[in-house]
Amino acid sequence: MNEFVERQMKLTWRPPKKSYDVVIVGAGGHGLATAYYLATRHGITNVAVFERGYIGGGNSGRNTTIIRANYGIPAAVRFYQRSVDLYRGLEEETDRWLMHQQKGILWMAHSEGAVRAERMRAKLNTEFGAQTEFVGPQQVKELCPQLDMSGGGRWPVLGASYHPQGATARHDRVVWALAEGAMERGAHVHQNTPVDGLILDGERVAGVRTAAGDVAAGAVVSAVGGHVSRIAAMAGLRLPIRTHRLQAFVTNHYRQQFGPIVASSELFFYASQTARGEMLLGAEIDPQPSFSYRSSHDFVQDVCRRALCLLPFMSNLRVLRQWTGVCDMSPDYSPIMGQTGVEGFYLTTGWGTWGFKAIPAGGEQMAALIATGEVPELIAPFGLDRFARDRTMADRGSAGTH
Amino acid sequence: MATFLVDGQRVEARAGDTLLVAMLRTGVHPTGGGCLCMGGDCPNCLVTVDGIAYTRSCQARATAGMKVTRDHLGGEEPALLSDEPMPAGNAAPVRHVHCDTVVIGQGDSGREAAREARDADLDVVTLDARDGQHVTGVYPGPLVVASDQAGRVLHVHPRREIVVATGAAEIQPVVPGSDLEGLVTARAAAGLVAAGIDLGRAVALGESPAGLPADSLVAHFPVGEGGWELVRFEGNGRIEAAVVRRHGDATEERIECDTAVLGLGGNPRNALARMASDLPVRVVGGAAMEPELPACPREGTVCPCSRVTVADLDGVWKRGFHEMELLKRATLAGTGTCQGGVCLPYLRSFLLERGGRLQPAFTARPLNRQLTVRELAAGAHTAVTARSPLHDEHLSLGARMDRAGGWWRPWTYGRKDDEYRSVRERVSLGDVSSLGKMAISGPDAEAFLERIVPTKVATIRPGRCRYVLMLDERGYLLDDGMLCREADEDAGDRFFLTSTSGGSGFFELWLRDWAEAFGCDVRILNQTASLAAINITGPQAARLLARAGARELPAFGRHRATPIAGVDCRVVRLSFTGELSYELHHPAADARKLWRRLLAAGAEFSVQPHGLETLLRLRLEKGHIVIGQDTDYDSTPRRLAHEWAVNLNKGDFVGRQAILRTNKQPLDKRLVTLRADDPPPRRTAEDPSAEGAAIHDGERYAGYVTSDAGTAAGGGRPMLGWLYLDAEGNLPREVTVDGRAARRIDGATYDPEGERARAVVDTASESPENVREFPLARPEATDLAIEAPPGPPRFRQLEATRVSATPAALDALIAEPPWPAGALAFRTAPDELLVTASPDFEVAGDPHAIVERETAFSYVWLGEATVERFLDRECEWRRPDARPALAQGEIAGIPAKLWFEAGRTLILTPAPFAAAFQRRLTGSLAEIDGVAG
Repeated sequence: MNEFVERQMKLTWRPPKKSYDVVIVGAGGHGLATAYYLATRHGITNVAVFERGYIGGGNSGRNTTIIRANYGIPAAVRFYQRSVDLYRGLEEETDRWLMHQQKGILWMAHSEGAVRAERMRAKLNTEFGAQTEFVGPQQVKELCPQLDMSGGGRWPVLGASYHPQGATARHDRVVWALAEGAMERGAHVHQNTPVDGLILDGERVAGVRTAAGDVAAGAVVSAVGGHVSRIAAMAGLRLPIRTHRLQAFVTNHYRQQFGPIVASSELFFYASQTARGEMLLGAEIDPQPSFSYRSSHDFVQDVCRRALCLLPFMSNLRVLRQWTGVCDMSPDYSPIMGQTGVEGFYLTTGWGTWGFKAIPAGGEQMAALIATGEVPELIAPFGLDRFARDRTMADRGSAGTH
Repeated sequence: MATFLVDGQRVEARAGDTLLVAMLRTGVHPTGGGCLCMGGDCPNCLVTVDGIAYTRSCQARATAGMKVTRDHLGGEEPALLSDEPMPAGNAAPVRHVHCDTVVIGQGDSGREAAREARDADLDVVTLDARDGQHVTGVYPGPLVVASDQAGRVLHVHPRREIVVATGAAEIQPVVPGSDLEGLVTARAAAGLVAAGIDLGRAVALGESPAGLPADSLVAHFPVGEGGWELVRFEGNGRIEAAVVRRHGDATEERIECDTAVLGLGGNPRNALARMASDLPVRVVGGAAMEPELPACPREGTVCPCSRVTVADLDGVWKRGFHEMELLKRATLAGTGTCQGGVCLPYLRSFLLERGGRLQPAFTARPLNRQLTVRELAAGAHTAVTARSPLHDEHLSLGARMDRAGGWWRPWTYGRKDDEYRSVRERVSLGDVSSLGKMAISGPDAEAFLERIVPTKVATIRPGRCRYVLMLDERGYLLDDGMLCREADEDAGDRFFLTSTSGGSGFFELWLRDWAEAFGCDVRILNQTASLAAINITGPQAARLLARAGARELPAFGRHRATPIAGVDCRVVRLSFTGELSYELHHPAADARKLWRRLLAAGAEFSVQPHGLETLLRLRLEKGHIVIGQDTDYDSTPRRLAHEWAVNLNKGDFVGRQAILRTNKQPLDKRLVTLRADDPPPRRTAEDPSAEGAAIHDGERYAGYVTSDAGTAAGGGRPMLGWLYLDAEGNLPREVTVDGRAARRIDGATYDPEGERARAVVDTASESPENVREFPLARPEATDLAIEAPPGPPRFRQLEATRVSATPAALDALIAEPPWPAGALAFRTAPDELLVTASPDFEVAGDPHAIVERETAFSYVWLGEATVERFLDRECEWRRPDARPALAQGEIAGIPAKLWFEAGRTLILTPAPFAAAFQRRLTGSLAEIDGVAG
């Protein structure tokens, strides 16, 4: 027995019905959170979530579990701060151990330009309700004693922005808790049931075609990751989305001694220690669009090399496993949430490398939109129509690293 | 005999002993118990060796002096708290091996596969774990990554096929007590006996073990279908008895023993094949067998890595976790060192029994064998930060260098205030060599540029230059620069276009892509590295240049080619600092000479170079934007208040359609200049700048500051920032920054009329006795026929010529070369040629050809033996077999061109990379010689 064996969650599977009020495509974090908040906040439980594989098997189970709100534009800071706040209460609300751990994020600067960018980030975050401060080298060293402040002699740490509310939670448990919460209130989740098409009734969406037959729906929400372009095409929509690989890896587990999450947008990597003791490392998306789940050796090679510049203690740790997810990237590095122009069809996508941290707020806001028909203020700037209106949400704070 | 320490206790190893065998012979067992397989398939023999945790003791050779800790987590090592820097050059090189076929595993099937391939005249590489060669992963490429006996990392690049002949692992027991010490697999038992280790009273369970003397067994129970069933092992830490019963019979039989030998069947070691399903992989022998599913376990530890029991599996199954992946994630079974090697067969039999459905194995992922972070970093190349040809000059003047836009730039020379004053009051030098620089010519050059930049190009007369924007298709600003039309009428339509330092990396690709997309007949020569550039700025700039021998200087908005201080220069007169400025573009090899002569000529004016920090302040006072700092991903010219740089009436250009569309949307924000009067916005010693601070229009959040130097000039403290229009669509005039009043202004705070930059200059007024003459000495091109000097190979400056012309014209040129015999000509691209001759020839077949002196490269000759050894070690890609041959690509992350002749090879690298390449070359050759010696 290990202390991480799941002992609380109960997943209840039911056979599919012919009709639901709401059908959600994709049982990842966002799809399940939408079902969860529909059930808990709006009492809407005649809901089905269709999943082509198993729950949380896409990016919800492949991300690096970081929760933060230190974004680069006001609307994003507000939105992600809402998510940080919801995450902080989620263990209590669901009465489940999600391994949520507030550990703080240090975003390292190695050049004057980066110092300037991190200072700006701190000020902007503070203005919009996310706690971030710029800290000098001495404080950085106190927060993370393992850092080689000379950066291997080549990447000196000139300072960092410090976001104390930065946290991690076990990604699978978040998914399961939301699934359980939705299921116990009556929502259905159907695994191994791909959605192959949308049923259109004139200008509106009336249901979905699934591997288990046609299902009528009052509203259809696409919460898929990686293949959103295909689902959107079924509704006749062309999305400004490109899909890219994102890779990560963990070492074996070691004793728990590494405190914060550290990131460097100049060395392009970030690292944290999981609750189990693994060092978890990630970096930027692969530059070429791809739907491949293949991992590459040069990714591990390069990230190891870069990480050693700042964290030389890792040199003798063994790397255990690497994996890959595929990220839907929008042109402005911000998510796309809301209505689509096709009646009854809703989208939550463009989750790039920031989907996990947005799960509760994304689900809460999408549920509010579907339940009330009104676009909530918090996500109004993130509508699909923003590209046509030249109101893109260009966010450098999201694109830095993860 | 080799002596090593296990938890401080001395252990003797015999020759050939693995760590595990040596330990067991001394009676020292790894911690945690469990069945030992001695095949690398289980986590039960993990120890820490010399600070490296999670080391499989069955796979490591025992060597003298090793320090072993039985705690496989590394003990209470302080390692996790260490911030001790890595020694320099910590990324060890990788050994690259190219072959036709790589065979992984050298058992019977592996040897057979290798023999067949050799018989077919294929170039075969074999890897075998028993020789210390552990394969960590199979990747696209295809690429097989392995470590070798000496702990080095191998990259094997097979051209045809990967044969996985890794054999089969033995199935481990899962019953109560299966985590006691004293359990071994049948193969492990044979190995231990062969090593002379006494198993004591041994009981065999399952298949009859081979290689064991019959009299060494106290009992044998054929466990399996229809026979005996394994019930449990008893003991306290170590096995004391095995308990079995016949299938269908409750009567238990208890056999006292010291060792249990388990022959429970095989499970294919196919992880490498599974992780490479879409690559040319062939699986043979035991690795290709169908997995035998063991009976569904009833009780005991299923996953020894994560300590997951059958009860744990049952618990999550009952909670609805029915998929293989969910079972794994909910228990962590299969996520440890052995990556499911032990538990996977049991997880499948468990799911089959509970759910009635045989589920596929979970995804196999690298790393199959775990290397350390340091080992994995081997061969990694960190991007080289580009250096200006003046890098060392800055260092010798005490500059603090900073990375900006992919280049090392002097941030300050430590005299910030004087750097500023020298520009405003006297004269100063700034190194702007990092600007992107493109020569563009051809019949379509003007038409091409009209489609590239939003400025009217046709009205730029010869000898004139103009500030231009570069947009993407969405009408957002990508970059900015200056566009000069050549003065020389003979040059036809020839232009010189610059980009910012940060944009220089992708500038050429961007231009070439559009030229191809538009089908324009143009020549493009990237001179970013070929030309250095020095900005002479300040009220005395013209006088300084006159003293350095400048005869005719261009007026504002013009440029001209003229020698200055004995160096061929293109002098461009625009201004970023707000003062009288001349930008001198010149061959990179002459940069240091020119820099020193200009400093000498300016001594009387107390000339002082200025760093990037001062430059950013100077331009801010003029309200000039910096791409990336003041602009964002959605910056249209309208938002940037740069409509004046966009001509929508001149025909199509990149971004025009988007601008026409977005101009119909109401404007939402604008980049503005703000001026704060006393008291200035909050500033502290820690953060003197208001950059990032919120701008408020009354109570309304109205934007943020993008640029603030924290300093005031004559007209108050200038800032740039994004300002959102109010609900009525107006830009507020009076705002607050950090709660302090600031006012939006329409011009610059410094010299708003631009009189200083545009000053009319009379250079003839400099009295002749003050003017130093410098003869213009054009160096001879490098004669590469001369033998390299004796001693270790060293990079040297290449004096050459680069040509951009039509492919047909270059074909003709090479057929009848106008340059002296002995010069080498390298066709670096269909439309580009590098010749080690002086640029005093014409390209007959192309009147638009660009022929320019090229000093951007350094070169070294290496003898055949040396180059082979060096490239074997450092070069990932396959080299050409023919001689002579030109190849280009990265070597150790550094761009290089290689010219292979019979017996020797020329390596060319851009001069700013030469120092890095030299270090790599010297270090690598020394290490190779060290190993060879």
